[in-house]
Amino acid sequence: MFKPLDPLLHSELRLAVVSLLISTEEAEFPFIKEQTGATAGNLSVQLDKLATAGYITVEKTFKGKRPCTLCRITPTGLKAFEQYVETLREYLNPNSQE
Amino acid sequence: MEENKNMTAERSLEIIRESIERSQRALSKNWALPQIWWGVLIVVFSFLIAYLWQNHGGPAWNALWFVMWVVGYIGNRFIDKKKETVPTTFVGKTIGQVWATFGIIASLVGWIIFIAACGLIPVEWVVPDQHVYINITSIICLCFGMASTMTGFILKNRVFLVCGIISGVGGYFLAMHFPWVEQLYVMAAVAVIGLIIPGLIVYFQNKK
Repeated sequence: MFKPLDPLLHSELRLAVVSLLISTEEAEFPFIKEQTGATAGNLSVQLDKLATAGYITVEKTFKGKRPCTLCRITPTGLKAFEQYVETLREYLNPNSQE
Repeated sequence: MEENKNMTAERSLEIIRESIERSQRALSKNWALPQIWWGVLIVVFSFLIAYLWQNHGGPAWNALWFVMWVVGYIGNRFIDKKKETVPTTFVGKTIGQVWATFGIIASLVGWIIFIAACGLIPVEWVVPDQHVYINITSIICLCFGMASTMTGFILKNRVFLVCGIISGVGGYFLAMHFPWVEQLYVMAAVAVIGLIIPGLIVYFQNKK
């Protein structure tokens, strides 16, 4: 029997965001928007969902005089991502489950 | 990208791979621009100093290298403002520290030798034995090659790696073979092989 995939990560945009954040210490909102090709509105909604679940932190700060939104992955998010990848591996290689 | 609950496992893995690769490409591309800038600057100053050295008064024109550091730093700040915002990563920080180490050591050695040559400190402090000969271009080429090779290893980029080894080892020995004004042409060649060529290749590879 396969484990269910984390529904929060099993979405194209949220998965792309978390994948970007695992290889970085922190990333600014415009960078994530450009890399994922998402609209600002949709991205904000998805970031809120991830932040509410404790997978990422969203910090509103300033870069000089300009507002800047910084996103970072949390240990909870990292663990959820690892679990998600592990489950994917089981889906792709069902024989390796034993 | 949309909300999609029916994604296959393959599609999920594809998204993860694409996202990680994209962020690595952005990082490499951002490193390429400063490399090209410093490479062009070294070539221009090498030829300028070589011309002045041969025609207008000798090796004292080497002091212009310090002007190059100032021009380079100002240009680098300008490039930093213009280039894409790239996230802070461990890889990015490490590469920055590698090149900062090269910059600090190369400029400190240069300054100390320059100050000794100007007579501001006793030459014996720098070269205690009269039979010892310091070839600053050789040392800088070696340090430079090491920094470039390390960048190649960190970025897992063969172009940086190979160009770093060729320019470091080649520049080290060639600068000793041509210790007079010709060493500036060696420096220019090292900048082309070690900075401009890999910078251009990486920049255009990631421009897609």
